[in-house]
Amino acid sequence: MSGAEQAKHVLRCEDIEVSYGAFKAVTNVSYEFKPGLLYGLIGPNGAGKTTLMNALSGRAQLSNGRVFLNEQEITKQPPHARTWAGLGRSFQITQIFSEMTVFENLRLAAQAHHFRLQPFWRPVGKFREIANDAERVLQEIGLESFGHISAGSLSHGDQRALEIGLALLSEPQVLLLDEPLAGVGHDVAEKAVELIRRVSQGRTVLLIEHNMDVVMEISDEIIVMLAGEILASGEAETIKSDPRVRTAYLGEEE
Amino acid sequence: MNAQRLLALLVAIIISVPLLFPDGQSVSLVNAILIWSIFAIGFDLVFGVAGMLSFGHAAFFGVGAYTLSLLTMRMGWDFIPSLGAAGVVGGAVALLFSYFAIRVSGLFFALLTLALSQLIYIMAGTKLRMLTGGVDGIAGVPRPDLFGIDFYDDGNYYFFLLALFILALLISGLIRISPLGQALKAIKSNEVRAEQIGFNVQRLQRSVFTISGIYAGISGGLLASLIFYVGPQMLHWSTSGDIVIMVLLGGMGTLFGPILGVAIFEIMREWLSTQTSHWYGILGLVFIICTIGMPKGIAGLVTQLWDRITPGGKS
Repeated sequence: MSGAEQAKHVLRCEDIEVSYGAFKAVTNVSYEFKPGLLYGLIGPNGAGKTTLMNALSGRAQLSNGRVFLNEQEITKQPPHARTWAGLGRSFQITQIFSEMTVFENLRLAAQAHHFRLQPFWRPVGKFREIANDAERVLQEIGLESFGHISAGSLSHGDQRALEIGLALLSEPQVLLLDEPLAGVGHDVAEKAVELIRRVSQGRTVLLIEHNMDVVMEISDEIIVMLAGEILASGEAETIKSDPRVRTAYLGEEE
Repeated sequence: MNAQRLLALLVAIIISVPLLFPDGQSVSLVNAILIWSIFAIGFDLVFGVAGMLSFGHAAFFGVGAYTLSLLTMRMGWDFIPSLGAAGVVGGAVALLFSYFAIRVSGLFFALLTLALSQLIYIMAGTKLRMLTGGVDGIAGVPRPDLFGIDFYDDGNYYFFLLALFILALLISGLIRISPLGQALKAIKSNEVRAEQIGFNVQRLQRSVFTISGIYAGISGGLLASLIFYVGPQMLHWSTSGDIVIMVLLGGMGTLFGPILGVAIFEIMREWLSTQTSHWYGILGLVFIICTIGMPKGIAGLVTQLWDRITPGGKS
């Protein structure tokens, strides 16, 4: 077992607050994410789930609070530095390099992971190690037959898989997945759930997802957000039976 | 043969004209094309590859020209180290600009680079008059003195410029296919994703802006030596405008397109300016028509036509 796995928590946030003018999108959020667990982050639209993910990955400016990865404070670090530190993520709206091929997309992620300073004296094709990494992940996400086609022409489900592949190439300890199943059909969703299960082996995953069946099934722990705050957290059964959650999120009367 | 090779052939034909027709006029025109091409190749690394529209490149171009002129004429430096210094100073000014301008993007980036470059233009004509010669500029900028060859002969100077042009083209071609070039393309394609996979976007943008500044500084120094003169006009924003037009006309983001753009621009400037004093306006009109008719520039048009006449040749 590695040192990180032995640690009590891999990612920790303390009193996080993100404000847009007078509106507090996230407020008073403190949480400790343990190594190797899959966390489902749920809540109604506007609850602050994506904003929390943005705050963790450095895409939202904090008006208060601190973020730690492996006990190193990363609050002031830009997104790329957090990626280097071991935090990968996918986005609610697919973010890929649409006009490049699937292989080129993955090779870019591999080179971003391999080189802090990008070499300019040799063609990228000469760096065998980054091509090998890209090939490996291409297989891992099940897109090996689409390597040469333009990423923009992939189906929506495959684009979501590619996004996860891009995040995987930075070898993240913590993976933040923002609605990876949004807009994908039933069959594809099954494949995607399988992929999420696979990539969550040995790493911490924070998953925002609206499909309750999936979240309840695959999460080790569930965090419920409401109006920018954490309303409840715990195992699926605890959450399902929590009257506050049933009232606030599932729409039932107390 | 593919479209890329056809474009390379077109460039080769244009730059070989002095070998076939060694008359004075065509040689001096191709010399100017070679120099502006070095500028355009470097500018396209920023504009076409990294997707940053800069209106400040006149500053690096002009500063390079003044550096070479002052070092050779006032400090007594040899031409080659002075040319190297022109590149270094061009790159250093670009790096300085980048620390201010890269904080913003898009139109704000273009306007900020424009403002910074105009600041240098105005300073060159006023506060730095003692150094720059003010609006009169500095006349008598020398050419290289190497191997006993008379580079004051345009025909000989052509070979010197051709060697530098080929070197500039090779370096730019290598950068484009290197990890650095690929990372810059990624930033242009999707900055959020590029940053999230771990690219330090601002550092990469600063690097390419500096490289581009080196290209501009060297080409500015070369132009000063070609026309034996440097004046504040080289620092003026319209010089930045010219290079944007050249690259757009030829095809941004392509290796050979900007060179073709420079060639068309320079040939038209040469011809139109003998026909009318309103040549710049006509050039602008031609540019507008061209960008509407061929949004990917000459390189895009050639590629499109080639793909159409060679079935199955499309990549």
